[in-house]
Amino acid sequence: MVRLKRLVPAGFVALVLTYLYAPIAVIVLFSVTTSPRLSMPIEGLTLSWYANAFSNPLMTTALTNSLILALVSAVFSGLFGCAFAFGLVALKQPRLRAALLSASLLPAIVPLLVIGISLAVFFRALGMPQGLLNTAFGHILVSLPFVVLTMNARLENFDFSTLEAARDLGASPWRAFRDITFPLIRPSVIGAALLAAALSLDEFVVTWFNIGNQQSLPVLVWGLMRRGIDPSINAIATMLFALLACLVIASNILNRKKAS
Amino acid sequence: MADATTASMGGARRPLGPLLPAGAFYVVFFAVPMLCLFVISFWTAKGFTLIPGFTFANYVKIFTSPLYQALMLRTIGVAFVTTLIVVPAAFALACCMRFVFERRGQLILQIVLLSLFSGYLVRIYAWRTILGKQGLLNSTLMWLGVIDEPLEFLIYSNIAVVITLSGLLLPLAVLPLYSALLNVPRDHLEAARDLGAGRLHVLRTVLVPMAMPGLRTAFAFAFLLAAGDFVTPSLVGGSQSLLIGNIVADQFRGIGSNWPLGAAMAFVVVAVMLIAYLAVVRLIRWVTRW
Repeated sequence: MVRLKRLVPAGFVALVLTYLYAPIAVIVLFSVTTSPRLSMPIEGLTLSWYANAFSNPLMTTALTNSLILALVSAVFSGLFGCAFAFGLVALKQPRLRAALLSASLLPAIVPLLVIGISLAVFFRALGMPQGLLNTAFGHILVSLPFVVLTMNARLENFDFSTLEAARDLGASPWRAFRDITFPLIRPSVIGAALLAAALSLDEFVVTWFNIGNQQSLPVLVWGLMRRGIDPSINAIATMLFALLACLVIASNILNRKKAS
Repeated sequence: MADATTASMGGARRPLGPLLPAGAFYVVFFAVPMLCLFVISFWTAKGFTLIPGFTFANYVKIFTSPLYQALMLRTIGVAFVTTLIVVPAAFALACCMRFVFERRGQLILQIVLLSLFSGYLVRIYAWRTILGKQGLLNSTLMWLGVIDEPLEFLIYSNIAVVITLSGLLLPLAVLPLYSALLNVPRDHLEAARDLGAGRLHVLRTVLVPMAMPGLRTAFAFAFLLAAGDFVTPSLVGGSQSLLIGNIVADQFRGIGSNWPLGAAMAFVVVAVMLIAYLAVVRLIRWVTRW
């Protein structure tokens, strides 16, 4: 009876997961099939689309740019976001804390399109030509809310009494931070930074409005898509997914690690 | 870092230092750019030069043009249908994760969230591959002999946009709903059931009100992000299914672009969506209380 009761929910969960993963399965499947037409039945298997992808000179530039952006995003939104979450948890007024938390999540709710064009307008007003630097600011902004959110959840049960004990024993705030706080939250900080890197690697909209004539992986994929069916997109996408999946899984493991 | 330390020493009890870097970043790269966008929405453009000024002409144009009105209505419609699919599905999924597969709930959540990282563009492209006229679904159905002619309505239609957007936004809606349901104790549901409440009654009077913060966030994610998307309509939507986001994007990166007009449109979109969002939140609250 208990088993039967779980059958319907299990079926529903399976259905949703199929819906979410069907596109991914399709991309991976067609990155290794011979026919450039993406249809059934499948004719043969090949790795040539991967070779094709790598022989595209734009691909290496795009990959380098994407990795630079991801690194910058990870470092800055990681540092800023973790510090912000830490500051929030230390705040004594619950109302102010809730208000600041909501405000910091705004960039996740405002459509990326609006964020992208507002940054384009802003940089133009400053006279900054479009490029990687502008895009990097956009990426940090887009990742920040997610870093704040995960760190805030992680820090909610942070034990501040250890910190007070350290202070009572005469440690300076900096010393207390270096020797007590940071080692305790380090796995979460790294986890949040990896999440920021993953978000940055995948970011297209803000990038597209601010990167000018430069390339990043999603911008390259966009360009290839506009030109019609090119199965090397599937190869690039599969590699990107593998990379992102590794980052996210690593981020989760680190976030979950009990730091005591 | 040195600045943050001195600040926290000065503030002793309530160190504001850690809030400063991100706070300053938000002000400079979020608040100020939004303000810039708002200001130029009252300007005009001649060719590629922006002419400062103060005119409501852009807003008047948006509200009086039948083309923009139609686009706005279609955008609201598509976003609303997407939300009607995404939020209940995500709620049901979150309930399964929380109350049926309790111990495996976290794992299912991770799997759901991982799908987000297959790439935003890539998933849209994949849906085009699946739904296309000679795509996976049509060719499989024809190969199996279920249909003789490819189904045309699958791609370049509002349906394709809704299917794709729902897939993109579902994981985002599950996250806040699952965390909200984690705060709903199982005993509450069992108590309500023991007192003779039917399943629907429990859903309406216990589950939904207790999950309200999560529902609100999930609704905001699904509705606002669907309404603001322009990549999905431009790849799977065809010319008959463009949304207001496409027109905004064109004003900034297209031929004959008009930044002030695009800026005004962006604010109209955000304002309309916020009003719709607040209306629905009120509606849910009213339904759960009556």
